Amino acid sequence: MEERLYDLIFIVRPATPEDEIKKVLSSIEHACAEKGAKIEKTEHWGTRKLAYKVMKHREGIYLYQQVRTTHGELVHELERRLGVQDSVIKYQTVRLDEELKRQKKLAHKREQRAARRPRRVAPPPSASAEQNAPAN
Amino acid sequence: MSEEQKQAPGPAPAANREGREAGHSVGGRREGGPGGGRREGAPGGPGGPGGPRRGKRQYFRKKKVCKFCVEKMDFIDYKRADILAQFVQERGKILPRRMTGVCSRHQRWLGVAIKRARNIALLPFAGSAAGTQAPRPVAEAPKT
Repeated sequence: MEERLYDLIFIVRPATPEDEIKKVLSSIEHACAEKGAKIEKTEHWGTRKLAYKVMKHREGIYLYQQVRTTHGELVHELERRLGVQDSVIKYQTVRLDEELKRQKKLAHKREQRAARRPRRVAPPPSASAEQNAPAN
Repeated sequence: MSEEQKQAPGPAPAANREGREAGHSVGGRREGGPGGGRREGAPGGPGGPGGPRRGKRQYFRKKKVCKFCVEKMDFIDYKRADILAQFVQERGKILPRRMTGVCSRHQRWLGVAIKRARNIALLPFAGSAAGTQAPRPVAEAPKT
């Protein structure tokens, strides 16, 4: 299987102590290491207000990671681990690589178009300017 | 309302329109719809001495352009709740394209991004008034 990039966001209870969070993170890390996946990014967004109540909490600590893996079943394992953790109140995994691929493709297309455009647009104004010049 | 417009045909509809615009979070509608256009046009006919364009439709819609096309965004990130929040109502409803001017392709991506953001509590679900809900007044429970 080709490599895939996943976004992993999870929210822990607002009153979770720091070492508890570390434990969750290390558990993810452990699972990733087992499957030979690479954690590309880890971000600690801190406490944020939730848009709606989650398990009676109005706030939560957001943690964000990007995982690159060739094993799809890793996601299943990660979600299982997060579901088991008491301090984690919500989690979401999103596959990202297809959208990034599409983004790259579109950017490439635009670049090509931009490279082509000057040649097409440039001649008409100069030609019309020449025509207009003698008349004036 | 009609009396007010007869007294001051020029400024009254303009103020009206501004009020409508302010009501929406994003640029929003220019007019109330077909009915709104007619109503605003009518006082210009009989009572408008200084109206330059009488009888005709007074306001023309400014063409809205897709914000994402302008910024050349090929990917709408669901994590950027600040951007996504511009395209939902307060209660979390996704605004239609005709109000925001987003192109169809970006609207499609936007919808996906908003739904993802909702799932992880960055944006509210439509109908759930979590942000606006006031704390419920506590009844006098300790009655001893």
